[in-house]
Amino acid sequence: MAELRERDAKILMTFPVTASSHLLAEARARGAYAALDKALRTMTPQQVAKEVLASGLQGRGGAAFPTGRKWAVIQYDDGQPHYLCANADEGEPGTFKDRWILENSPHQLVESMLIAAYALQVRHAFVYMRGEFSAPFRRLQGALDEARAAGLVGENILGTGFGCDIMIYRGAGSYVCGEASALLSSIEGKRGYPRNRPPRLTVKGLYQQPTVVNNVETLSNIAWIVQHGAEAFKAVGTPKHPGTRLISISGHIARPGVYEIEVGYRWRQLIYDDCGGMQHGAALKCVIPGGISTKVLTGAEIETLNLDPAEVEPAGSSMGSGGMVAIAEGTCMVRLLQVMLRFYHHESCGQCTPCREGMGWLHRLIDRIVDGQGRLDDLDMMARISRLQDGNTICGMGDAAGYATLGILAKYRHEFEHWIREGRSMYEGNLECRRSS
Amino acid sequence: MSSIVASLMPEFERLRQRFPEGFDSSMTLPCLRRIQELRGHVADEDISALVQWLGVPRIQFEEVLSYYTQFRRRPVGQVRLEICRNVSCSLRGAERLIGHVCQRLGVAEGGTTSDGRFTVTTAECLGSCGTAPVMVVDDEYHENMDIEKADRLIDAMSHADGGRGG
Amino acid sequence: MPQIFLDGQAFEARTEQTVLQVALEHGVFIPRLCWHPKLSVAGNCRICVVQVEGRSWVEIACNMPVSEGLRVLTDSPLVREHRKATMQFITLNHPVDCGICDKAGECTLQDYHVAFNGEASISREPKVQATKFHRLSERITLDNERCILCTRCVRFTREVSKSNALGVKNRGDHSLIRPAEGDDVRLLDDDAYSENIVDICPVGALLSTRLLYKERVWYLQATPSVCPGCARGCAIDVWHRKPEWKLRTLDARHNTAIVRVTPRDNPAVNGPWICNKGRDLALLLERPRADAALRKGRAVALDEALAAARELIGRARHPVALVSSWGSDEELAALDDALGDRFTCFVKDDHLPADGEVVEDDLLIRADKNPNGRTARARFGHQALQFAPDTDLVLVWGEGCDFGRLPRGVPVIFLNAFLAAENGHAEVFFPTSVHTERDGHFTNADGVRSAFSRCVDRPTGVVDAERVFRALASVPAGVAP
Repeated sequence: MAELRERDAKILMTFPVTASSHLLAEARARGAYAALDKALRTMTPQQVAKEVLASGLQGRGGAAFPTGRKWAVIQYDDGQPHYLCANADEGEPGTFKDRWILENSPHQLVESMLIAAYALQVRHAFVYMRGEFSAPFRRLQGALDEARAAGLVGENILGTGFGCDIMIYRGAGSYVCGEASALLSSIEGKRGYPRNRPPRLTVKGLYQQPTVVNNVETLSNIAWIVQHGAEAFKAVGTPKHPGTRLISISGHIARPGVYEIEVGYRWRQLIYDDCGGMQHGAALKCVIPGGISTKVLTGAEIETLNLDPAEVEPAGSSMGSGGMVAIAEGTCMVRLLQVMLRFYHHESCGQCTPCREGMGWLHRLIDRIVDGQGRLDDLDMMARISRLQDGNTICGMGDAAGYATLGILAKYRHEFEHWIREGRSMYEGNLECRRSS
Repeated sequence: MSSIVASLMPEFERLRQRFPEGFDSSMTLPCLRRIQELRGHVADEDISALVQWLGVPRIQFEEVLSYYTQFRRRPVGQVRLEICRNVSCSLRGAERLIGHVCQRLGVAEGGTTSDGRFTVTTAECLGSCGTAPVMVVDDEYHENMDIEKADRLIDAMSHADGGRGG
Repeated sequence: MPQIFLDGQAFEARTEQTVLQVALEHGVFIPRLCWHPKLSVAGNCRICVVQVEGRSWVEIACNMPVSEGLRVLTDSPLVREHRKATMQFITLNHPVDCGICDKAGECTLQDYHVAFNGEASISREPKVQATKFHRLSERITLDNERCILCTRCVRFTREVSKSNALGVKNRGDHSLIRPAEGDDVRLLDDDAYSENIVDICPVGALLSTRLLYKERVWYLQATPSVCPGCARGCAIDVWHRKPEWKLRTLDARHNTAIVRVTPRDNPAVNGPWICNKGRDLALLLERPRADAALRKGRAVALDEALAAARELIGRARHPVALVSSWGSDEELAALDDALGDRFTCFVKDDHLPADGEVVEDDLLIRADKNPNGRTARARFGHQALQFAPDTDLVLVWGEGCDFGRLPRGVPVIFLNAFLAAENGHAEVFFPTSVHTERDGHFTNADGVRSAFSRCVDRPTGVVDAERVFRALASVPAGVAP
């Protein structure tokens, strides 16, 4: 690996966080809103969209859909109202990277949204923020107020005649609302039910109008891309997956937090150098790479991997939302899966059959195993339920729970079998990393 | 009209103006959130007032209130303690924390202390995984929580003049 | 016109159609629970999955647009596996209490279980319990355990009847169909079309409270008929006990009673809906019946009554007839043929809107509460009732006539199906059949002619009005017989 160049480019976390680094004055001193000025004064909407397409930017919410291609569906001059929604629902367990942007670099999001709104000719943009986020809400609302006072949001931005209002729409407690179509249902003031595709949201989205929903981190790259150009962006990361990723790492890690890594960064380096290894010097058992809905990889599996979808996906998982959870040796994977399945059951919206019924089924099933009433063929049943929800639900949640379950069952089946045979955990049901281990 | 909705009407009207035309249905969540901030829960009379004002069917409010976990239809304790029990918080001791807080206050999960002071609930991922475990006290995050810190917080809020001032 | 292939066979489709619509139009079977032709696509039940050739996954047919050359498999091994799994998911928390379920025998879930699963539950977990008898409205009881949350009922109240009475509360596998509460708790009671949700419920969740545990559908047969409740003339099925399952021990009326009324899909008239009044046809038609001909209030044989009527008509020089707007096309023609040139005829509204009844709306309900006023007026004119001073006989056919407003001292011949004080006040009275006791046609306000068939036999002593008119036909004017 020594021949690899240092992958340490930063796009988002480019400044030390202080008590005032989120404020407009300091953001401007760092160059904020120069890209907006450039876009509005020197570029046409098509040129902005073309630049984003050329940058190869992909969605950072988990699905990694190319942003430029999503935007290209919108006919910016078709005369209909278009809407832009920043997805700040950030509900995927293990993920808290967007929160870093909202709290520490809100102007980067606001500027990027305004540029996106210009490219898509949007007059009303929304930030859909999960209801529990109170500090991030205050920070972003503060930034929007500052920007409005400075003539950067609202009518006639920077005197160019372009106008766009950005409103924060706060959720009220629903994981599913992080799914783009459920998010729009929620902004329409309804239950957060995902919608069937077709139609795509870029054809019929919010109130049946063409709508772009982009993740906060995805959008926050736009200002940088416009300022430095698509070529510069593509020089970061890998050709197939340009740019950086915000990795939020938690669990049994010595220094949890948000790290910006260039795509292709060494996984080991992140965990052992940047994050200081595991809590209490424990050994790494496994990693959930990108939110609990991505398949678990063992400590051995990540040993040689780089943080690059082109490597993580062939290894059988995904970088997902960048919500990484490190799990130490001695952790009981049966109890861990129980926590996950309780979550999925709790959050299933109940709209479509396989997820509504399957989540409760899996949850009750694993509760029974933990109660010591499990049978060995229950494990095949769990795998079958997971497999048959896959691809037959309105949104991806059925698939996600299935991946999580199948991933853990595939690699730690012996822990389940032990519990079923012996009536107790191989690891005393431990979820915490004990100092003694 | 419920007095709370009446008092919020100027604010609601301003918000309505900011939404694009035809977005009245979108007013449900922000209005319900705001009412709950003031009342602590959403009452029938609030819904009736909103139905009358917005023309959005009542069933939509009721669907929304029962779907989103943050909405409350009944009064709860003066101080709400909400502890995350999802993966990252569990890996950092959330189960012990929940057990301790419930035991100390003598309530089960979801319960309210007999003096009506505290309500303890659990939550699924609150986006505080890197600073786990998290306990939310009346919508404010208290992160890197442990049993000692929780005890100190509860001590400080145990009297009506502590916490948010009863 | 794109061409698509279902299981290798080519079909012409229209651009706006979905694969499911094309399949159903051409008789290719694809199961569906949440999909309904008159409601928006919900895509939540997941039973209509199909497989596009060459793909390794399944997709729902109800939301799959057609495209030129699209090749779809409706019964591949993968499709069958998913259908079976979906049935296992759907029945996971379903109580499978078919033995006591009113829907048994006409339940889509039962049919699909036999067709696509057929095995006992593979789950070992206890079922989620929910409300068994939730009163949704005066008319409708909801069993939440049987509900599969297809939301047909919710969509019906939003998109068709527009009462917005129903919604889904809670979430996940604790979701419940519930009515609005508080000030709006009566919305479903006030929804004049509410009982359609009982029909469109694909399972035994929504039940007619009136029929709860009263009948098993396999003892019933449906006879095509027309609702006489207003000038819409909705196509209906009248359900009554099959003759071969006649009860001998209980009240004999069980064998002829109208058990229920359901819509019979007629796109030209009512589509798949009817209003609640149509459901309550028994209330209209099963009022106490007149079953004997009367002469001055005294029961007489039919022949005697006919002879008396002939005599009255024979003597009359200026007879007037009040024509029933509930008469069938055939009866109206018979009256016209038999007596049209002897009588001055006025069409009468047998029924007017009742207190509290929806008078008119933009879905089905018409203000004219009679089924055949259009034909009657086409034949006998629109003129308002007016008795000339020399009127010397009045023939009243059907209800809705205030006898106090008839010319004093003038003899009356009265034809009526129901017991009424006026029956005995007439000089001659004939007890007539109701339309479920004979074949015929009504022509609705828009000119659509619909047939109805005899559901049950006429009660003893009752005669068809048509027969009475024909028997009175050959009486010459002004000559005593």
